[in-house]
Amino acid sequence: MAMTVKLKVWRQAGPGQPGKLVDYVADAVHADMSFLEMLDVVNESLIKRGEDPIAFDSDCREGICGSCGLVIDGIPHGPDKGATTCQVHMRRFKSGETITVEPFRAKAFPILKDLVVDRSAFDRIIAAGGYVSMNVGGAPDANSLPIPKDVADQAMDSAQCIGCGACVAACKNAAAHLFTSAKITHLGLLPQGEAERDRRVVRMVDQMDGEGFGSCSNEGECEAVCPKEISISNIARMNRDFLKAIVS
Amino acid sequence: MTPPVLSSSIGSKFLIALTGLFLFLFLVSHLAGNLLFILGPDAFNHYSHALISNPLILVAEGGLVAIFLLHVFKTVTIVVANRGARPERYAARKWAKSKNDRSRKTLSSTTMILTGTITLLFVVTHLATFKFGPYYETAEGIRDLYRLQTAVFSDPGYVAFYLVCMAVVGFHLWHGISSAAQSFGLDSPRWTPRILWVGRLLTAVITAGFALLPIFTFVAGRN
Amino acid sequence: MVLDSKTPVGPITDKWDRRKFENKLVNPANRRKFQVIVVGTGLAGASAAASLGELGYPVKVFGIHDSPRRAHSIAAQGGINAAKNYRNDGDSVYRLFYDTIKGGDYRAREANVYRLAQASVSIIDQCVAQGVPFAREYGGLLDNRSFGGAQVSRTFYARGQTGQQLLLGAYQSMMRQVDAGTVTLFQRREMLDLVVVNNQARGIVCRNLVTGELESHEADAVLLCTGGYGTVFYLSTNAVNSNVTAAWRAHKRGAFFANPCFTQIHPTCIPVSGDHQSKLTLMSESLRNDGRVWVPKTQGDKRPPAQIPDSERDYYLERRYPAFGNLVPRDVASRAAKAVCDEGRGAGDSGLSVYLDFADAIERHGADTIKARYGNLFDMYARITDENPYQVPMRIYPAVHYTMGGLWVDYNLQSTVPGLFVLGEANFSDHGANRLGASALMQGLADGYFVAPYTVANYLGGATLPPVAASHDAFGAARAEAQGRIDKVLRVKGKRTVREFHRAIGAICWDHVGMARTEAGLSGAIAQIRGLREEFWQDVTVPGEANNLNPGLDYAGRVADYMEFAEVLALDALERRESCGGHFREEFQTPDGEALRKDDEYSYVAAWEFKGVGAPPALHKEPLVFEEVHPTQRSYK
Repeated sequence: MAMTVKLKVWRQAGPGQPGKLVDYVADAVHADMSFLEMLDVVNESLIKRGEDPIAFDSDCREGICGSCGLVIDGIPHGPDKGATTCQVHMRRFKSGETITVEPFRAKAFPILKDLVVDRSAFDRIIAAGGYVSMNVGGAPDANSLPIPKDVADQAMDSAQCIGCGACVAACKNAAAHLFTSAKITHLGLLPQGEAERDRRVVRMVDQMDGEGFGSCSNEGECEAVCPKEISISNIARMNRDFLKAIVS
Repeated sequence: MTPPVLSSSIGSKFLIALTGLFLFLFLVSHLAGNLLFILGPDAFNHYSHALISNPLILVAEGGLVAIFLLHVFKTVTIVVANRGARPERYAARKWAKSKNDRSRKTLSSTTMILTGTITLLFVVTHLATFKFGPYYETAEGIRDLYRLQTAVFSDPGYVAFYLVCMAVVGFHLWHGISSAAQSFGLDSPRWTPRILWVGRLLTAVITAGFALLPIFTFVAGRN
Repeated sequence: MVLDSKTPVGPITDKWDRRKFENKLVNPANRRKFQVIVVGTGLAGASAAASLGELGYPVKVFGIHDSPRRAHSIAAQGGINAAKNYRNDGDSVYRLFYDTIKGGDYRAREANVYRLAQASVSIIDQCVAQGVPFAREYGGLLDNRSFGGAQVSRTFYARGQTGQQLLLGAYQSMMRQVDAGTVTLFQRREMLDLVVVNNQARGIVCRNLVTGELESHEADAVLLCTGGYGTVFYLSTNAVNSNVTAAWRAHKRGAFFANPCFTQIHPTCIPVSGDHQSKLTLMSESLRNDGRVWVPKTQGDKRPPAQIPDSERDYYLERRYPAFGNLVPRDVASRAAKAVCDEGRGAGDSGLSVYLDFADAIERHGADTIKARYGNLFDMYARITDENPYQVPMRIYPAVHYTMGGLWVDYNLQSTVPGLFVLGEANFSDHGANRLGASALMQGLADGYFVAPYTVANYLGGATLPPVAASHDAFGAARAEAQGRIDKVLRVKGKRTVREFHRAIGAICWDHVGMARTEAGLSGAIAQIRGLREEFWQDVTVPGEANNLNPGLDYAGRVADYMEFAEVLALDALERRESCGGHFREEFQTPDGEALRKDDEYSYVAAWEFKGVGAPPALHKEPLVFEEVHPTQRSYK
């Protein structure tokens, strides 16, 4: 059964240019379509009419690459919990409904076009210390250092971050604390990351601040939109590690 | 370069939490002292005299003002910076809490700057009313703050104003206490729910205590 | 041209050590004088860039995504094999080598596969040291599981996100080199041409996908790590932006394309729900450990599955393969599903799916146990299909998942263009005609961490590399050609969208170069592909302009390349008149319907040389010699 939805989509020609919400009607929408497939269909008809299609990022379309990210009716990644935009299906919406679609908004995520933003700030945060400094070839046997299962599981909880930036988009301060703390926690929990724990947290936080992200108001909206439901406990741990690092 | 503890986002929040903690401890002691009002004029006036006649009070007051101003200053700076982190607002905005109850966002957490500003204004009028208010003297020749308080809270309008202000302070603490714990980095799967719960309990106790006084004074004054 | 695999002589166990010793080295002080280009940031690209950066080579890295971490390696779920023998169950480097050769249906080069098995051991050490949070046991040591029918437990995993964690490990190592200044990132760039000067790869031309600008980057060696060509089928489990463009453009500059017909179809994917579908989602094949596969016995039986009594169900895998039952290899399970659907017995509205039923397993083990084993997969299925697999049998159908073919490389991973190295899924080398589960991640990382650093150094240390500037004529010519193609596709302004053409080429490939192939079908497909290519250039419509962010234009370039590539894909399938691994020719099957290999005629690598669009490519054969593992027919009865 076909549905019709009305869309209000943010259109912006390029970085720094003025943008506005433009109305579209998507008909012949199928309940089994993903939200992005619905946009594909809208774009097909725009192309056929000779109009500029709506630009948006997406790649794996199964919730792991972190490319997609739209603010759907005011919520990053839309209404489904623990899901990315590409995992939202049209059966979540009612026929005739109006849906507002905006890009992730943050000073540190400049809009490149329409719904496409530049999230390279995240890469620079990782480059500032989100790794274990070891060269290929120097690794000891993988089982030489036992790690308790609960510690490994907790590290994995943090390591699951897909770097989509929804945490920034949902935060009223456009803070990147959840992203940054997830990496700090992942590496900080493991013995392999212990040696540069202090240096890592200080450098990564410094880079994060320098990118123009805001600060944390401890509201946890980031955790609520996170497709992997990464806990703001990670942020507390980052705070602790940071304070410890600058005191010691 | 300023030390990262003062200028970083985490350091700033740490300072806000730390000053907030001091202000909270002040509230606790302030409430404890004020509750002596219930014991009658002698107890209350002797206590307040002991307090204001102590030469160290100037140091304490200065410290308190400094802490208060630092709390305000860091908060205002950070709010301005946070606004700058999202220059263009969303056209549609909805709390993510609506899709996932992992969010701790509340009306309290979204109005911190507003409740903080109201608290600041309240503190100014509060000081003007009491500390710099009319000087009554007891027969012993010490300041009769019991009389002042009785006079002030004989006006039902002022009682209402005061109660509203206490509600605002309570609103601020509702998010503030647990948020400070998070800023200090106090968190664990076992303790975080308890911290949240204790924060709210403390808020309720403090707010109820401060609300009790004007009501008690008003009722006692009419009898 | 004679294809020289440059495989070292001597016993298989010593070949790689011998090669490493014979290789030329580059003095640490001289390394910064060589510029290396890495295209692609998946497991192979990121690991190669990180290790070359650590050695001190200046490396430029190019990727089409906004961040290197988005490369499609991230989506691999199951795990990574390594011959650690932590389970004391008889695993060894030799056994992993043997299993891989056999699983590849004897169409891979023995020496490469042995080296892969050797490297597997170091990969796990490397990844653990990087902080990859592999699953562990209560004792704190690494957990292993058996995967894809292997008889030993050699698969390491990080929940259902092993690819993600391994990629993030490699990405982080690469970002460390970015911080150190050895690696420079160029994201949102698409390689449009390989620049060859004096028969050496000396750089690339790429398009800045944000500004539309064509850029020239010169280098002393170019490493292509750009993945496979699964999206030629339109629907696949690959990411929607995965493409063959970089490899194809290199092919047009002289790199041979090997065994393109070896494509892998994965049996447990969520079926197509309608025309709008943009990609297919894979579910771990571990589901077949407890699920029973069936279809109705009678054609056109459209009753809901619950109303079909057991006596009217055909558990066709258990019936046809009593020994392995529901656990037959991927290619066998996929073909069997296609066969029953072709008979008109498929499930669902489309008739293009089969049931994967957990009712017996739930009754035997309880719903809680099943939930503990497959909860995340069941949730994923329910989210996509809106059906509850605890109550209604799942519906599954095969989908294109991986491509074993790729650019031909020698033992050093160097293509037929000197200085052009090809790593990971983009090359053809290690999986033969069929890839075993949990081996793709292993190969990408082996190539990047443990092979390319040695062989690229050997090339740089031995080649004569006169300075080449980006102002060289070859760069200008390549830029002009790339610009010409962009202008041409924008000028057509026809009526059909790029997606429509992509769907059309995908349908041809799926129908005729998919799970079962025939002489007539393939010949017909080649004619259809040629026809479609003509139509594409006459009737495609591409939106927007060339000088800004225009995903529609990027897409057009990729589909245009598929219009050319699909022809060699079908041709290779036509010319390989045998069945092996993922390549099943209906004419060549045993009386029981199993793949019939013809080792005496087809035990070779088919490497195709480009001779112009529309002109038949030239076939070069690299004979495969089996000194260690003697080919036998697979049997899963």
